[in-house]
Amino acid sequence: MRRFLGLAAAFACLCLPARAASPDDPLEADQAFRPTARLISGTAEASGRHGIDVEYRIAAGYYLYRDRMRFEVLPATLLIGPAEFPRGLEIEDPFLGKSVIFRESVTIHLPFTVSSVRPGPYRVRITAQGCAESRLCYAPFVQELPLNIPPGYRVTDSPTRPLPPGLQR
Amino acid sequence: MKAWIPFVGVGVLAALAGASLWLANTPDAPSVPKAGAVDAAPATVMAANFVDHDGKSRVLGQLGGKVIVVNFWATWCTPCVEEMPGFARLQTRWEPRGVRFVGLANDDPVKVKAFGEKLAINYPLWTGEAAVMDLSRRLGNRIGVLPHTVLLDGDGKVIESRIGIYAEDQLEARLAEILLRGP
Repeated sequence: MRRFLGLAAAFACLCLPARAASPDDPLEADQAFRPTARLISGTAEASGRHGIDVEYRIAAGYYLYRDRMRFEVLPATLLIGPAEFPRGLEIEDPFLGKSVIFRESVTIHLPFTVSSVRPGPYRVRITAQGCAESRLCYAPFVQELPLNIPPGYRVTDSPTRPLPPGLQR
Repeated sequence: MKAWIPFVGVGVLAALAGASLWLANTPDAPSVPKAGAVDAAPATVMAANFVDHDGKSRVLGQLGGKVIVVNFWATWCTPCVEEMPGFARLQTRWEPRGVRFVGLANDDPVKVKAFGEKLAINYPLWTGEAAVMDLSRRLGNRIGVLPHTVLLDGDGKVIESRIGIYAEDQLEARLAEILLRGP
């Protein structure tokens, strides 16, 4: 009998959440906007650049504001220059004027402004803002990503070299 | 062993399965995301401190009225700005019956004032710093989104907490329901 009642309870648990997650429920910011960070090492693939690439995967129906993103690297001994963004999509809002947004995905480059960096664990701290299309917007949220700089990593290129086509500071 | 117990168990299972299927196939109310649990005592809510456009300190308890509609918004939030003219119309229609609207923003007071004038907002727009989103979270906005609208009774008790746009007709129907039949 106890086994039967246990099965009944398990069945009930399976049945009841049938409508728990509605598609109308907005995602948590960390689910809607998923960033990863990787070290760029000056290879040909990286167009000779050094620094950090932050790639965002953005859920369908959501977007990030370009001009509301802020980046820091912690500890702050590792200095980065102004973030380099791809062009993005310009939108015109009747109340707010023009804004640049990113949908689906975006990669933002954070160039190093020093010629050598101390190896070790770092964190990239991002403050961002975004919205779910025509429904709601996220108050500024903070995300932190781990970044490891291995021993022997050196910045051998000029940090002020021209940007590749399509990027802007 | 009582012989009828298995039959009761089967009956309960059948009822659960039926309820589950019914719930799964019943259409949700359109685009009304769920707010989370409220974690703020009414007295705390009514005493929360903000600043008006003249720099004067204000608390929600000063508003009086039978129902207070607290709207968390920001000048950069397009959906917020879209719904506010509707709130202004509702303020005009429902203020004589004891409804008080107030907008709360963690935003630049100068921008907030300019927005209020541009959109002809006829209810108070107060600002605060982190306390604004902190109160919003404690009133059910667990994921920190805007707009967030909370209906309070005259004592500061939460009647409803809704994230996302609150359409003018839906809010008007809700106000009528509360004031005519009670929350």
